[in-house]
Amino acid sequence: MTHKSVNPFSLGLVRGLIGLIIASPLGIGLVSVLLAAQGQEWLVGKFWFTEPAWVLGAVFGSVGFLIGVGAFNDWVKVALGEEVHETHEADPSLPSWTRYYNFSLDHKVIGVQYAVTCLIMFSFAGLFALIFRTELIQTGLQYMTADFYNTMMSLHGIVMIMAILLGLAAMMNYLVPLMIGANDMAFPRLNAFAFWINVPSGIALLSSIFLGGFDTGWVGYPPLSVRAPLGMQMFFLGVYLFGLSSILGALNIIATIVRCRAQGMTPFKMPIFVWTALATAIISLTATQLIALSFQMVMFQRLLGMGFFDPAKGGDVILFQHLFWFYSHPAVYVFVLPGLGMISELLPVFTRKPLFGYKWVALSSIAIALVGFFVWAHHMFTSGMQEFLRVPFQYSTLLVAVPTGVKFFSWVATLWRGKISFETPMLFILGAIVVFLTGGLSGPPNGTVATDLHLHDTYFIVGHFHATMFGGFVFPFFAALYYWYPKVTGRMYNERLGQLHFWLLLPGFILQSFGQMFVGLLGMRRRIADYDPSLNIEQPNILVTIAGLVIGLSFIIFVFNMLYSAKRGVVSAANPWRSRSPEWLLPTPLPVHNYPQPLEVLGEPYDYGLAGSTYVRVNPQSAAAD
Amino acid sequence: MTTKAESLTRYRHNAATNRLGLWLFILSDVFAFAGILVSRWALWGNTRPDLNQVLGLIVTSVLLISSFSMNRAEVAAAHGDRKQFMIFMSLTILLGIAFLAGVVGIEWQESPYAPSDNIYGAIFYLMTGMHAFHVLCGVIFLLLVLRNGLRGLYTPEKHWPVEAGAIFWHFVDVVWIFYYPAIYLMGNLVR
Amino acid sequence: MKHVIGVIVFIVVLASAAWGALNVNLLLPAQASQQAQPIDSLFNLQFKLVAVLFGLIAGILLYSVIFFRRKKGDETDGPHITGNTPLEITWTTIPFLLVIGLSLIGSQALAETLRVDPRAIEVKVTGQQWSWRFEYPAYGITSDVLYMPLNKQVLFKITSIDVIHSFWVPEFRVKQDAVPGRVDELRVTASKIGEYSLVCAEICGTKHANMASVVKVISQEDFTAWVAGELGATVANPADRGAKWLKQYGCLACHSVDGSKMVGPSFQGLYARQEEMESGATVSADDAYLIESIRQPAKQVVKGFPNAMPPAAGEALTDVQIQDIIEYIKTLK
Repeated sequence: MTHKSVNPFSLGLVRGLIGLIIASPLGIGLVSVLLAAQGQEWLVGKFWFTEPAWVLGAVFGSVGFLIGVGAFNDWVKVALGEEVHETHEADPSLPSWTRYYNFSLDHKVIGVQYAVTCLIMFSFAGLFALIFRTELIQTGLQYMTADFYNTMMSLHGIVMIMAILLGLAAMMNYLVPLMIGANDMAFPRLNAFAFWINVPSGIALLSSIFLGGFDTGWVGYPPLSVRAPLGMQMFFLGVYLFGLSSILGALNIIATIVRCRAQGMTPFKMPIFVWTALATAIISLTATQLIALSFQMVMFQRLLGMGFFDPAKGGDVILFQHLFWFYSHPAVYVFVLPGLGMISELLPVFTRKPLFGYKWVALSSIAIALVGFFVWAHHMFTSGMQEFLRVPFQYSTLLVAVPTGVKFFSWVATLWRGKISFETPMLFILGAIVVFLTGGLSGPPNGTVATDLHLHDTYFIVGHFHATMFGGFVFPFFAALYYWYPKVTGRMYNERLGQLHFWLLLPGFILQSFGQMFVGLLGMRRRIADYDPSLNIEQPNILVTIAGLVIGLSFIIFVFNMLYSAKRGVVSAANPWRSRSPEWLLPTPLPVHNYPQPLEVLGEPYDYGLAGSTYVRVNPQSAAAD
Repeated sequence: MTTKAESLTRYRHNAATNRLGLWLFILSDVFAFAGILVSRWALWGNTRPDLNQVLGLIVTSVLLISSFSMNRAEVAAAHGDRKQFMIFMSLTILLGIAFLAGVVGIEWQESPYAPSDNIYGAIFYLMTGMHAFHVLCGVIFLLLVLRNGLRGLYTPEKHWPVEAGAIFWHFVDVVWIFYYPAIYLMGNLVR
Repeated sequence: MKHVIGVIVFIVVLASAAWGALNVNLLLPAQASQQAQPIDSLFNLQFKLVAVLFGLIAGILLYSVIFFRRKKGDETDGPHITGNTPLEITWTTIPFLLVIGLSLIGSQALAETLRVDPRAIEVKVTGQQWSWRFEYPAYGITSDVLYMPLNKQVLFKITSIDVIHSFWVPEFRVKQDAVPGRVDELRVTASKIGEYSLVCAEICGTKHANMASVVKVISQEDFTAWVAGELGATVANPADRGAKWLKQYGCLACHSVDGSKMVGPSFQGLYARQEEMESGATVSADDAYLIESIRQPAKQVVKGFPNAMPPAAGEALTDVQIQDIIEYIKTLK
């Protein structure tokens, strides 16, 4: 397959990067000139490197990128009262692959853009982890400085978080409109905008390596983050931008679910994944503002000396932690809920049985999201916040176990007496349940104040949340990628490589996470470049690092499978999984406006085993005939 | 070809979706404003800075009156009364600009605190700055609406942008109803 | 019925295996405080609960995966079971009661760790990048090693002069952040004689991993003897006193005395040397300069070093102590 040559300037990505390269120096220059005009010292070599200059440069660069991509074109037209097309078609003179590098409004294209960007950021973050894990093979510092270690460790955290948010957006963007019978998202332009701001965000985050790095971990607690190098500001800015993406994406998902469902698609007839997308979006829409605010306040403290978190000026260090965790704890439910929805979504297909207790599972997601708003301070049991807050937050935290338990029981009840088959997506779903179970069960000791006094800030926490993130996001995300791969590409992935991926990842991960919990209980602290030889934890640390390498290897196999199968894979049947979900009833590749004829909802989504029942009827051919 | 009735139905459907989107955006924004308000309570507690009370009262009145004139402009648009629409829209924008001039132009210069002095300066500039930023965005939005309205783009049936501008403007006003007492009135004066 | 018996066997086997593996004595460090006792029994209870729940879910899952496989070529669907409301109510209610119970027990354990002994000895703990300092107000002693008498409650009043640190001795279990601008309390009654390591559990910058102090739990007699020794030890030579201050006040975390480069400039050969500053000026490191760079560290920063020294670092020192330090620096040729 050869592509005919394409003018690079017709690609939005290229234009965006040019915009970024032009606009950043403008921002840097503007601040420098202003500082010079105020009589600040004009020192060659130093002058361009003032912090405000770089921050404004990065802001300008991001806007320049978006202008270059074309994110504002339609909005400017709307503002000036000109007509814009409801949905604009891709330029027919360009080959179809260029859609993926342009400001496309098609939610399916945006879904794929999100997925690929997610995998790129995931690779970066994984690489950072392997780099700093190498240092922990032995006690003492062998391969890197402590500052470099801290930067790698901090970046691993935040880039992973960004990758997870991108992965969620990929699943939700691609699937939600298809599943509810909508032709696109409620606000397609906003959708594309929300994707594209992730690119300057990623560039800002990664640029922090070259701007001194930062050593606060992903939480950015002041006063340390006030004293950290310039890289800290790039971290704040990057988070700010992908937080904005998260808010706008969530707004769009809610509006889509509320306004764009097909006739008859009542709430309890929606595929279960849509419920989790809704629950996630409720959190993202609201709570994200608080992390943005907390980071903005630190930015202002650094740039303008505003003393929010400076005790010398009457500020309060603990306030930051409240604002920060008000988002950052619910955020973990943002990360895992769609993954848990994915488990509930795929189990019926591979067990050929209805989802056990659909309504309970659907409502448990909403319950987790709502309870999730009242548990943030369990990250602060040792922080020195008011003592009377600790026990109430312990109760609310443990309450999360109840709706989570409903999910687990419903999953195993769905498996019970099913007719289970073990294709790659199902393996990942089963792996997800096992891994999330270890993550969930390691939760209560952290949620109970007394035991958390020992566990807080140790590797036990690291093991715990890696298990929840892998069980709640990574495994289900891989399952989803394999499951919908034939729908997206029209070809089947390589089953053998898929199985190999799974059988490397699962034991590798369990070894890693159990190893982390083990050393944590014994007293290994989080975020340390070196540990005391007297703890006798060198061997488990070697194992954890080896397990990390195995996970990395399995990821390479996965990427190879995805790329190889796109070209060489067997052409897939239209509905290889015999799913009842509407998107599988459409032809591959999917029509640009999913359902030319409105979707008809006739029954329940998961009535496998009920003779003669259908969920939906789609009739794409008849549209052409009309 | 779509008939006029079909076009109107579609416009209403889209406007309803947009309305939901706007309210969701406002819900999200409320969390940001609430976060700042919580920070004010955490850092100032039962105290307040020494600010120009007369000026505070004036800018608050200006903003409240602008909400009223915004409402008149919207009603005028709904009735297709171009002249009233223009008058009240311009009045709203002028009052908005007057508010900005009062807060940023006078109060910021007069205030006894610099942002870096202490938490009184820090929170004062954060609260008024965040709010002024929203007023500024509202003024720009209303200017565009006014321009398009004068070009005759809105009809009694189709004037969603006017309604959007009004909802946002009232929201910004409501925020100030919480912020004004929190900054100017509540707590014991600190010298 | 056959399946029910089978799955119960699976659950019991897996739960027992987890029960055996989750052994508090093997998984936690040695216990060396009275506060650790309720915490460890709570750990024990939770581990048992975790084992049972793990067996329950993993048992059903494993059994299903083994016995409910789809046969090759079987294209039919499974039984049409959509749910069971009484069952759902059961597995909502029982976990709810369990977590409320666990929370109740957890609160009691917490209360035990907070129990106040009015005769507790007070120790002021100050964290700074990257060292700990301990002051015993009752005796007027300052130390860089934490001495604790056996079986006597110590009330730590913990603070920090720069960024957030966290006070943690794994063997004591309990932990408290050291927050600038605040003083937080933590009570520990050491219950086992020995030497432990007090580490910083909250990331605090470059040398966070190495921020540690020695903790010595000693008998009451030894403690009394140590106090008497410290009080009686008047050091006549100012330079020797200066060396002691540098150690006690954490200066050596960033400044070496042997010329090796750390976060800040080394003290070796510093006195009267011509130092180039970030501003470009050259300054002679005389008494006035040294006093200024301790009292106002940000005023003149030596070229090639970050402006990292917290202003509060020097505030704890008296003028006499600073003179002692200068005398000591003079000896470091």
